[in-house]
Formats: sequence, structure tokens, C-alpha cells
Amino acid sequence: MDLSLTTRAIGEHTVLEVGGEVDVYTAPRLRERLVELIDGGSRAIVVDLGRVDFLDSTGLGVLVGALKRLRPVGGTFGLVCDKEPLLKIFRITALDQVFPIYPTLDAATSAESSGADA
Amino acid sequence: MTGSSVVPAPAYPHGGLGRHAKLPPRERLRVLLIEDDDADAFLVGELLAETGDGIDLLVANSLNAARSQVSGVDCVLLDLGLPDAQGLDGLRQVLGMSSGAAVCVLTGRSDEHLGIGAVAEGAQDYLVKGQVDGVLLARALRYAVERKRADENTRRLREVELRQAESARLERGLLPQPLIDTDLVQVHPFYRPGRHEALIGGDFYDVVQTSPDRIDLIVGDVCGHGVDEAALGVELRVAWRALVLAGVPDEQVLPALEQVLMSERSAREIFATVAAVRLDLAGNRATVRLAGHPPPLLLAGGRVVPVPAPHGLLLGVRPRPPVAHELRFDTEDWSLLMYTDGLIEGRIGDGDERLDVSGLSRLVADPDTRRVGLPELPGWLVERAEEYNGGPLADDVAMLLVSRGEGR
Repeated sequence: MDLSLTTRAIGEHTVLEVGGEVDVYTAPRLRERLVELIDGGSRAIVVDLGRVDFLDSTGLGVLVGALKRLRPVGGTFGLVCDKEPLLKIFRITALDQVFPIYPTLDAATSAESSGADA
Repeated sequence: MTGSSVVPAPAYPHGGLGRHAKLPPRERLRVLLIEDDDADAFLVGELLAETGDGIDLLVANSLNAARSQVSGVDCVLLDLGLPDAQGLDGLRQVLGMSSGAAVCVLTGRSDEHLGIGAVAEGAQDYLVKGQVDGVLLARALRYAVERKRADENTRRLREVELRQAESARLERGLLPQPLIDTDLVQVHPFYRPGRHEALIGGDFYDVVQTSPDRIDLIVGDVCGHGVDEAALGVELRVAWRALVLAGVPDEQVLPALEQVLMSERSAREIFATVAAVRLDLAGNRATVRLAGHPPPLLLAGGRVVPVPAPHGLLLGVRPRPPVAHELRFDTEDWSLLMYTDGLIEGRIGDGDERLDVSGLSRLVADPDTRRVGLPELPGWLVERAEEYNGGPLADDVAMLLVSRGEGR
């Protein structure tokens, strides 16, 4: 399955909707898009994983990379995810303690700070 | 290497007859002539036109003008006496700008030695002005293109061979011989490359015994696929082995490994997951530490359960030593199965569901699995996972099975 990437603005937030599979083949495209957004000045990024069917360690690396790029420029980075298989991956890697993870897009975009404090 | 000038010039200046049989019609060639002398350029055009050999000629009257025309050209025919680049210097510039195209050089009668030098520099052939007719010229150009393609194929083949050799070397570095000398436990390592064989993964394992009663085991995975990640996997494994052999206190090994990772990685988004186990054979117990890694499975007393060690953060994100989990074996017959996530990321069924830790536990506990001998068990599990997945697993799989007594 392929990767789909859609960007839109909700208030202050730049929301990147990701769909499909994020794996060794597709993760580079996700990385490029996130780098584009950050280089383009986006400072409050929410990645909506609602339509992601699979996320492997390369994909996790891309998300961690984005968080680390945003941190020095004072940005925030949050994830939207309510799928148990994906949440399990975040638990196993303990990245649920690093990323703010919200069950809904509303929750993510209305959060005061998606604290990129990693 | 051949120089076409060694063939005696034919007696008829507008050849194409006689002993030069006309070449069969083949693909059209795009040839870029770089020639500042209009008369010479005209002559080359005439020679090629009369052969009717399907050669489209573009002309640039300087090296600078050639730059914008070189893309998509099959062969460059270069006069070595250009005003903006003399001799072999011009050739080097042309070789630099036309990576895919063959290059033939044109020399004057008096500087034929330049032609030989040009071939040594990387040109496919050289032709001496005034000593070629149309057919010979067309043929030389076609030969040059074919030779360039053959060279290119050889080079690609060689690259693939080198890459495979490199992968093999890296694999040896990632998957060492266990360093143990004991009859108290058996260790069965296993490795299977993923579907994308060209992309070696960063999975690694190692086993080191530091005293008759103490054995350390690690299974890890550097995220991402490629030579850099695999090389980092080798570094981490060797660093881990050195730390363990040096007698670094157990709780300091993974923090030190994390430091190695963070100082050696090529990008900040590279991290690693590891599961580390220290066996105390005299006490029949183990210390398990997880850093972002799925938990080992414990096989004992007819049951299969994931070791309930706390999920530690993967290495390289935010340094924090993983919490140790003390595991006491209730029996003398047990196994620990350590594995990388490639094993549990395969699909089960048609949906998006994956095997996962729970599915793997069920599979290992299955009565069919219990009939499989311990040495064959890792391979058997991968085969089942591939069966569920409906084809080869995408990712690499590394496993360590360490067993005591009957092993379950």
C-alpha cells in the first residue's frame, strides 16, 4: 500500500494527515514533507496518524527526527492516534512518553502546548 | 583499446562501398560534435549523411556551447583542438559533463599520440581527421556507444558485487559467533534478511560469557536500512561486547552503549532498540532490560509469556537508563526467545492486523510448535510468520534462543 500525505492549516497548527503504510520504502517521503514544513516555517505541527495502517521503526525514526528539528526552534509536535496497534508500538518503544499523543485532531489542535520537550 | 586510425584510409573518400558493407539499420544515435572549425563540422555532417546510418548530428562550436546540448546524447565526438579547451583538458571536461555518453575524439594527423592518451583517459576511441570515411566514422561511433554500454554494465555488475560483498561483511559483523563455553545452556542464533535484500538492515545480536555462571545476551535493531545503519549496528555490537568483557557494571552497559550510538550516528534521527539479558546460571535467574524493544518470550512449564519487563525508551532519543526487570526461573527447563521486530511485523490474514507479541506468543505455545526441536525453532517460526504474511517478511529478522534443560 502507498503513503498519502495531506497538509492543511487549523488555526496556528499545521496538520499533516498521513495515510497508508509508513515503512522503509515510504518513510523518506514523510521525512521530506516534515522537513519542508519545518524549513517553511511551521512551528506547531500535528501529524494525524488516523489513517495509518502500519508504522515501522524507520517511520518512528522520522517522527523522532521531526521532533528533534522542532525543539531547537521552539516548535511543538503532536501526534493524533487512536489505533491500538499503533499505540502499542509507541508503548513498546516508550515513545508515548516523548510524543504528546492525542486521541482526536480536535484534542491535538486545541491543546495549549504539544510540548516538544524531548 | 583500439584506435580506428590503424585501419588504412580507404581509397575512396566517400566510402560506403567496397569492403565496408553497409551496417544493418539499427537504433538512431544522437551524436554531439564539438568542433570549432565550420568546414570540419560540415565535412563530418556530410560523411554521416551519406551513410544513411540513422545518426542525428548536433554541432556545438565550443565546449561551453556543448554543455547545454550534451544531455540525452549517445556519443560525443570531440575535436581536441578547441579554442576554449586544448587537448586532454577538453576531454576531461567533456567526460565530466557527459557521464552516460560515449566519447570519441578527433585528432589531427600530427597529434595522433593525443588520441592514444585520450583513450587512456577514458574516451572510447579516437579518429584521425582526414583518415575516415562516412561508414568508418558511423561504425566507430556505434562501436564507441556499445563499448561504453558494456563498460557501464561491467561497472554496474561490479558495484552490485561490491555491495553484496559489503553486505556479507557487515552481516558477519552484525551476527558473530556466540562467545560461550558452557553445557548449562544452549544458544541458537538465527538471522534472515528481509524482502529488500539490497537494503541490509541494522539487526544485530551477540552472546558473551564472562564467567562460568554469567552469560550476557543482546538483540538489537538500528532503525533504518542501509550500509550506514548496518555499520552502526556492527559498532554497537562490538561496543557492547567490549563493555561486557571489560566488566562494566550491568546497569552502566546500556547507557554507555547509548553514548556510543549518539556519538557515532550519522543523523540525529537514527536510534536503536535493544533487549539485553544477563543470565545468572547459579541463581537460575535473569536480569532483563528493554530499550524500545519488544519483550523476550519465556517458555517454561508448558506456557509461553512475554517477559513483563517495563518498556524502556529506545536508545538515542532521550538518554535514560532502562529499568532492570529481575526474572526468576521456577524450573530448570526454560527458554528465552529474543527477536527483532521484523518477526512480529508480518501480517496475519487479509486485514492490517500484524502478528505482534501476542500472536508470536500464541504461535510459540501452539501444540504444532512444541513438536519442533529447539535448534530448528527460530527457523520454523520465521516460516510460519511468512506463511501468515502470505510471502517473505519485509524486514530482517534476528533471533536468539537460549535454553536450559529441556528448554520448555
